Amino acid sequence: MNQIPAVLDGGTRILIVDDERMNRTLLEVALSRSGYATVTAEDGLTAWELLDATPDAFDVILLDRRMPRMNGMELLTRIRADDRLKYLPVVMQTASTSTEDVVEGIKAGVFYYLAKPLNLQLMLSVVAQAVDERQLLRRLQDDLAKHSIALTLLDTGVFHFRTPEEGNMLAVALAHICPGSRNLMVGLSEIFTNAVEHGNLSIKFQEKSRLLEEQRWSDEIARRLTLPEYAGRRASVTVERQADRVNFIVCDQGEGFEWRDYMDIQPARAFSAHGRGIAMARRMCFDRMEYRGRGNEVVCTVYTPTATATPPTEPPAPTFDGGEFTCDMALARTMQAGLLPSDRTLAELEHGTRLRISGVFHPSTDVGGDIWGVIPLDRHRVAIYLADFSGHGVTAALNTFRLDTLIRHMRADQDKPADYMTRLNREMSRLLPVGHFCAMLYGVVDTRISQFTYAAAAASRPLVMNLSSREVSQGDGKGLPLGISPSAVYEPRSLSFPPGSLLFLYSDALAEARRADDKAIGCPGVARLLPRMVEDGSATDAVSLVEAILHSSGDTARVNDDLTAVCCLRAADG
Amino acid sequence: MKYQITDSNGRRTLAFRGQLTFADRTALDPVISQALAGGVRELDVDLEALDYMDSAGLGMLLTLRDRAGKSGAQVRLAKPRGDVKELLSLACFDTLFAIES
Repeated sequence: MNQIPAVLDGGTRILIVDDERMNRTLLEVALSRSGYATVTAEDGLTAWELLDATPDAFDVILLDRRMPRMNGMELLTRIRADDRLKYLPVVMQTASTSTEDVVEGIKAGVFYYLAKPLNLQLMLSVVAQAVDERQLLRRLQDDLAKHSIALTLLDTGVFHFRTPEEGNMLAVALAHICPGSRNLMVGLSEIFTNAVEHGNLSIKFQEKSRLLEEQRWSDEIARRLTLPEYAGRRASVTVERQADRVNFIVCDQGEGFEWRDYMDIQPARAFSAHGRGIAMARRMCFDRMEYRGRGNEVVCTVYTPTATATPPTEPPAPTFDGGEFTCDMALARTMQAGLLPSDRTLAELEHGTRLRISGVFHPSTDVGGDIWGVIPLDRHRVAIYLADFSGHGVTAALNTFRLDTLIRHMRADQDKPADYMTRLNREMSRLLPVGHFCAMLYGVVDTRISQFTYAAAAASRPLVMNLSSREVSQGDGKGLPLGISPSAVYEPRSLSFPPGSLLFLYSDALAEARRADDKAIGCPGVARLLPRMVEDGSATDAVSLVEAILHSSGDTARVNDDLTAVCCLRAADG
Repeated sequence: MKYQITDSNGRRTLAFRGQLTFADRTALDPVISQALAGGVRELDVDLEALDYMDSAGLGMLLTLRDRAGKSGAQVRLAKPRGDVKELLSLACFDTLFAIES
């Protein structure tokens, strides 16, 4: 068996599994030059013996798909089924790039696919990303442990929530209460969402099917939340700790429902887009679930691991595609998309201010480090912002949630970009660790004085184009990124924004996108291309502008980072 | 990323070549330790041969500055050019580092 090299604290060890000696050597050399310790195995079975004997020894596995004795897919399945190894990131290399194979791998929990022949640069960057996520997960597990120490002190507590977003946030926080309990966050968020949607807002099963089909679901939730008959309704969760269990008692102010129909997945609803949440939560997330009375109160119980308590039955293992991690990532992705302005918000904004705002948000991995948003101020003014955190993946994504929370709570000075940015920076400097920061542009469009006033922190230059003359004015994006120095002060800048103008903001991934000749589009390139893209007057929304700019040289330019852009159109008569 | 560390006349120089990006951040840690070893007081980071740096590269410079500060060393950035120079200027890094052109 291979000797496992010793690594210093914080060092990283990678297992290379490949039947071809040449490939193993190539990877070994490239990885050790980048400072990683490596161990090799020549087939799946040897690798499995190694992993089984020393499950904590590795941070990432580079796995070939086709091998004798045990192939890559078989090994992957074993890894994902093993509690000690299931979160270990696996990077699969394959000569076959058929969609079926790739889908099969993704479902089985592949972190990333690398096509053969290998591009070493790409391989190193993927490995670095996998190492990062692995370390983040370890840190989060530590954090969870620390938080739960505080929450284990809670004997009883009552929390109130009104919106599905508040429910989700609460679910994340309360999941800390039972460390180690499987899928608790997912289960709580399911039950909390139900309490709001089907309880307080009285949306029936068939109604939901129809709304989902017509893609009006989230708009309808937002609408009902403002109606006088529902606006005052709150849901509550009472947390009760007993010797051997924790009860979550969730109550809503709705009329209740025929809960018996939903405790198991009914064949009639097997192919329906929804209606499985309660059954799923019951099977996978809680040890007991009991509805009371007419169904607007439910007690969800999790047994805590004490010496005396034995839960009546062990909940079956989760059966989501690709395991829990994929499920959490999908949830994280949905939650992140939920941070962005909804179509309804933008439509209302247009109705009120006659400014048409649109955005593009393309994370380069499951979740992204960019965020954009709008804050309606009054009939003449709206604040628009775009932020881009350093790095990619989960670390950067968590920071977008931090920023979003800050912005939702910091109401003062929202109409004064420089002051607002100075305050945001002070807070971010307190929150972000060394080496992490955020590039940002925050500005206010004011139609009364026809100006875009903004503050910038290492952002791409804001562009304003006159729609009739096609002339582009470029602003200044210079400024210390947020989160580095608490004493940084930002200055106000402005661009003229008369009727018949288009404002365009973008994250640097657009300028850094590389064309077929490997040249980046560049910031001057974006400013030069913008008027050409709106030539025929049709491309005046963020999605088509970004598409057009990326395709401007015939081929699609390659984007290597999270890409976000925001476009604000002021009509000639607006 | 490629690098070289040299000592001359009591100053240490850490010279980067090629690119400093997201892919390099795990590799950079031991480089920083090596560059700050032996209680060095002044460290020049030579960027003349660095062609490209992304925002993660900026983050690495901040980590370097932080660790240097903790071990009592001053960091000076030297000879940035092209895109690297522009990025440092966009992010106002001249307010954080002495930058020598």
